[in-house]
This record gives sequence, structure tokens and C-alpha cells, in this order.
Amino acid sequence: MTALDQRVSRPAGTRRPLAVLAGSTAFVAYVGAVDPNTAGHYPTCPFLLVTGWYCPGCGSLRAVHALAHGDPVTALARNPLLVVSALALGWVWWGWLRRSASGASRQRVAPGWAVWGFLGVVVVYWVLRNLPGLSLLAP
Amino acid sequence: MSDFGTPPPPPPPGYGYGTSPNAQPAGPPPPNYLVFAILSTLLCCLPLGIASIVFAAQVNTKYASGDVAGAQESSAKARKFAIYAAVAGVVVGLLYVVVAAAGLMTSRTVSS
Repeated sequence: MTALDQRVSRPAGTRRPLAVLAGSTAFVAYVGAVDPNTAGHYPTCPFLLVTGWYCPGCGSLRAVHALAHGDPVTALARNPLLVVSALALGWVWWGWLRRSASGASRQRVAPGWAVWGFLGVVVVYWVLRNLPGLSLLAP
Repeated sequence: MSDFGTPPPPPPPGYGYGTSPNAQPAGPPPPNYLVFAILSTLLCCLPLGIASIVFAAQVNTKYASGDVAGAQESSAKARKFAIYAAVAGVVVGLLYVVVAAAGLMTSRTVSS
């Protein structure tokens, strides 16, 4: 009976990852067309505006713009965490698409320490890109 | 080798420290909404993103230790913060449009 339910709900399952793909493509196309390097096109990061410090997301739009124009070197210079995260999210999305196409449920769970580790990476990255000597990680 | 043929243990290791009434954690793992946490950290609202990552980590830690109810609780919090982040992103975007429009008007009137 559950197998039958999964088979019935299969088309609805693939519709969501495909909708996310369409939305992401539209977002990347927009940021690729409307240049974030030009002031006034997008709001400044609120954290940067208030504190004067970079946040882990600063440079994301410029990195997406560079990726949309096929320039991964510039994208890595603006925000390396975004480039790595985009690859990881693409991998996760691929797994989601495959699971929803086959009707299978999620079997493996990332260990808790991995997610805590990711939190540590974000916080360390946040501090490092604000250090005066380390312009490598700054946007 | 004498164990050959016995049924395998339940998948999440370390289950049943006396926390869960049933020995086997029931059902699939609750979603941790880590994707939304990453998106809000990188694109939208940093404090909400950090909090979302904490709840996502709690989901996986509690589920792995057999605390399914606690994992579901953290999952609900992670979901709540994903919604907060989306709302905050929209509000900040709208505020920016309003402020930019106001700034444009004042700069036109002030520029003499």
C-alpha cells in the first residue's frame, strides 16, 4: 500500500526539485544580467552596513555573477565559501532529484559532528576574512 | 561468526540510552533544513542562518542518539527559522527599495 502511495505521488515529487532548479536558474540569470559590481543594483549587506565588518555571505552576489559569466577564479576571489557551498548544494539537489524520481525516502543522515563542523567553518571563515592581513578571504 | 544470521541492529547507532520509550527509533530522520540555513547564511540574514545551522546540527545529533522526539523538536525550530529568514529577506529587500527611493528624492532636492 505504501509502495502504491509512493508510485501515485511520484510526479509531484519530481515537480518540486525541478521547480527549485527553475527558480535557481532564474536567480542566477538575473544576477548574471544585473551586475552586483555596480552600486545601487542590490542592497548592501545589512551586517556590513551596521558594523563595517564582512559577514560569511559578503561577496555572494558578485560571486554568483562571476559564475554566471563562467569566471570561477573571480568567483573564488569574491566568496570561496559560496562556490564550495554551491557545489555541495548542487550535489544535494541531485540526490533529491534521484530520490524523488525513484520514490525512495532518505536513508542516510549526516553525522551531527559534520553539521557542527560546518558551523565552525562558517564562524572561523567569518573571523578570518575580517583580519587585516588576510585579504585572500575578504570579498 | 556465531552471530551470523542474526538480524542486524537498527541503523542509528547508540540508540536507547533510556531516553526513548521504544528501542528502535521510529520513522525516517526529520528534515534539518540545512539547505535553508546555508542559503540564509550566504544570501540573506546572517544571525538567522547561524541559528538555523545550530538547530540543523541538533536534529542530526539527537536523531543519531535515538532521541527522535528531540530531533523533531529541533527540526520544527529549524523550519521556523527558515521561514523567519525568508520573511526577513523580503522585508530587508522592501526596506531597501523604500530607502533607496527616499534617498533618491532627497538627493535630488538637496543637490543644489
